[in-house]
Amino acid sequence: MNKNENVVLTEAVFYILLALYSPLHGYGIMQETERMTGGRLKLSAGTLYGAISTMLEKNWIEAVSSDEESRRKEYRITGLGKVVVKTELVRLEELVDNGKKRIE
Amino acid sequence: MKKTVRKIFFVWEYEKEEQWLNEMSKQGWQLTKATFGKFRFESGTPDEYTYRLELLDKSLSSKENTSYLNFLQDTGIEMVGECRQWIYLRCKTANGGFEPTNRTLYTLTHLLKIQEFIGTTKNKLVAMIALAMCGLLVMEQLDTSNLVDFIKGFCTGIGFAASFVTLAFNPFSRRINRKVKATINELYTCE
Repeated sequence: MNKNENVVLTEAVFYILLALYSPLHGYGIMQETERMTGGRLKLSAGTLYGAISTMLEKNWIEAVSSDEESRRKEYRITGLGKVVVKTELVRLEELVDNGKKRIE
Repeated sequence: MKKTVRKIFFVWEYEKEEQWLNEMSKQGWQLTKATFGKFRFESGTPDEYTYRLELLDKSLSSKENTSYLNFLQDTGIEMVGECRQWIYLRCKTANGGFEPTNRTLYTLTHLLKIQEFIGTTKNKLVAMIALAMCGLLVMEQLDTSNLVDFIKGFCTGIGFAASFVTLAFNPFSRRINRKVKATINELYTCE
């Protein structure tokens, strides 16, 4: 596996990737994340902007081409992004399993 | 009701400036325009907006920053003023203000941008001091006249002012360095 894919994601990045399984623009990502976490995780504009730029560079997400010229860009997850999410999910499951085993 | 307040904040007082703007907001004075040393306020609902000063690493009109500002606008953040690369942002307090998702990461980014700004500004100031000294040296070789005296005075003034600002940056710069180290330590335990 590429070293880019074998990483620990931040909570914000994990949720942004999940939200982008369907195309959304910046504000839509914020709303979707808030909805998924029941209002717990509110993404700040700065964090979101930084995360989007970095993930575009890493090719984990892409801008939806039909909207390229419009001011409000929409993004969606790429195939590589989905691999990253799945890998992270395996790691998170291990984390939860081990945690539960110890404290129960 | 509107009012204009003239007040000077130096670069190293950006936290104080931000606090002051938020204090004004709590008293019902909302900033509508800001340039260096000049702030225009309009009376409105107390605490309606939260303000933040941000340092851009490129000029405001660059392609990256235009797209950044458009992005901010879509999320309900508007720019109310600018002073070179510093911009004045505001958003509705009810929408959660500017609370960053990851405070450590945010603080680190912010501090590094400021450090870079101090670095380039210092370089410019040192170049200015050097030029002023060269000017003085050249003028020493010439006979006294009104123009020569004027240029001498001018160079001395510039030299002194630039030296003062360069030195004033030092304690500020040390404080930023201390904060960077403390913030990096945070990263060992939290995201």
